[in-house]
Formats: sequence, structure tokens, C-alpha cells
Amino acid sequence: MAYNFKNLSVLIVEDSRPMMDLVIAILQTFGVEKVITAENGSEAFKKFCTQKPDLIIADWMMRPMDGIQLVQQVRGHPDSPNKYVPYILMTGFSEKHRVLKARDKGITEFMVKPFSVRDLYKRMETIIERPRQFVRSGDFFGPDRRRKKDEWFNGQLKRETDVTPEDYMIVNTQKRGAKP
Amino acid sequence: MTMQDKSGPYSDRHFNHTPRRNAEFITPPNLIKGKVGSGGLSEEILNKAQALLESSAVDFLPLAEIYLGNLQNGIEVSQTPTDNVSHEYLISTMIYPGMQLKANGRMFHYPLITTMADKMIQFLEVIETPNEKAVEIVIAFHGTIKMVIQARIQGDGGAKGRSLVKALEGACHRYFEKYN
Repeated sequence: MAYNFKNLSVLIVEDSRPMMDLVIAILQTFGVEKVITAENGSEAFKKFCTQKPDLIIADWMMRPMDGIQLVQQVRGHPDSPNKYVPYILMTGFSEKHRVLKARDKGITEFMVKPFSVRDLYKRMETIIERPRQFVRSGDFFGPDRRRKKDEWFNGQLKRETDVTPEDYMIVNTQKRGAKP
Repeated sequence: MTMQDKSGPYSDRHFNHTPRRNAEFITPPNLIKGKVGSGGLSEEILNKAQALLESSAVDFLPLAEIYLGNLQNGIEVSQTPTDNVSHEYLISTMIYPGMQLKANGRMFHYPLITTMADKMIQFLEVIETPNEKAVEIVIAFHGTIKMVIQARIQGDGGAKGRSLVKALEGACHRYFEKYN
């Protein structure tokens, strides 16, 4: 058994034609038959609404609408046909503050350019095999920004459901039936 | 400390802490998994796609010249700033084309350009003021990258490439020693 990407539809949003062609060629080698393309965020959102792709792979820097503005539309616009669609953002930026900015706008995966075939595949595999829950909290809506569970986290508690390490131990001890 | 006692290090009453938020968790249906099945992609397919990426016949030079032209514009804007533009904007006029050079260089067989542009971005991400000396450093990056393109130095450029990168790094270090 292997993945069968034949029925997968992917929207690629990229303003550089050579880069677009490379991504198309990689996806076709993976077996993807339906590739939809757009050169900027606004064109992409129109195609997203009408063609409802299963996955979006978008560049960050584009005009008139960039990849961050596009994900905001996808996650929050009333016309969006699928607010949960997986979204891979490609960019040359790798600095932490830019990664955090993208994450806080609701992207699913972040991929730094230049990338290898395995970099792209790894992100697709993560989306398929380990999809994250979505979180609606205050002004955020998107995939859960916490990828790792840290039982001993001792920073600021941000969610009402967050517990201190001590609370965590008490709850788990009680679950096991022992007295705390 | 118990569950009732929130006055310790985990307290959310600290003056600098935002109130804890009510997070709603949603598990969207995994539509992609349903379409593609299980088993991953074979090494053969991944290797084939990687070979295709590495043998891309795209001529990077016209693209690189566009990005270098944009970088030149950014340099000129930063050399003669008007009163109503922010430092952040001036830096962005140089950082965005730099990011494009970094992102695309290695994808199209010019990894030395990616290495140099990456160093330039790291420099621009750190400086707060695009003063005359900082812009001189960017000019040095621009000139060196232009030379690499004109000489069509593909690959890492060997010893010559390493010495060019080292010289650019040295210029950045000297700047930070003097101005930070």
C-alpha cells in the first residue's frame, strides 16, 4: 500500500513562474493530478471558493494579496468553503519572529525556501498522518499552535484548560486511583 | 502549592499576564487521509522528484537580475530617505529582494547566492537603523552577488566562494563591533 494522490487537489499560489513550475512538477511526480494555480492571494481566494482544493501551498510575498492575508481569508472569510483546509506557507524567511507571525495567522505548516522534495513531502505527510486540532480562542482561529505537550511547563498559563505541573500530577495520580 | 493556591509562580494574576482565555477545540474531519489512504510514498518516487528538482533547466539569471534590480532600488531609497518613511520600511525595501535571492538561488543551482543572501538577511534583521555604514554593507552584498551571477558561479563556488562569504561576514562583524 502507498499513498494515492490521484484524487487530491492542490492549489499552488506563487508569483514566480519558475518556482511555480518546480512545485507543480514535484506534485505531479507524487501523483497529484489536479493542480490549481494562482499568482497572488486574491486570485487564489477566488479559485479556492470555486474549486475547493484539499490543500493550499502558498508563497508569502505576493501582491496585491500575500500568503498571510490569504490564510486569514481562508480561515475567517464568510465565503470560505473550508476554514480547516491545510495550508503550507513557503518563504525565504526563517527568522523566529516571522515564523511566529505566520503561525499566529493560522497556517498549518511553514516551509523555508530553498527546500528539498523531502521537506515538502514531510509536511504533507504530517498533515495526512498527524492533523492538528483547531483552536478558537479570543482573536485566534487556526491549527493548535502547541505542537508539544510539556508536562513540566512553568511559564504563563494562557488557556482556562491549562494546568500547572502540580495540578497535572494530582489529576494523573487520581486517574490511576491512588491518593495524591 | 495546591490547585486552590494560585499565588505562586504559575499565577495568572501577575500584572504582566493576560487573562486566561477560553479555548474551544475542534477536530475537523481528515478529508485528505480519506482520499489518499495509507503507506506513504516510496523512496523511488521521492528520489525521482528530487532528481527532477536538481536537473531543472530554468535559467535563474533573468530572475536574479530582477531581484538584484529591486535590491538596488532599496539601496537607493535607503540612501536618500524622505522624512515620512520609517526605518522598518527602508530595511524592508532591501530585505524582501534579499529574501527572494536566498529562496531561489539554491533551487536553481546557485547555492552560493543563497548563502550570501542569507547572511545579508541576518544582518538586516538585526540592525535597527539603515544608516550610511549599514547601507554600505548591503552594497557590498549586492556587488558580490552580482559578480557571482555575471561569472555564472554555480555550486558553492569552492575556495573562492568561501573566501567571498568570509569577507562579507567580516564586514558584518566589524559593523556590529563598531555600532552595537
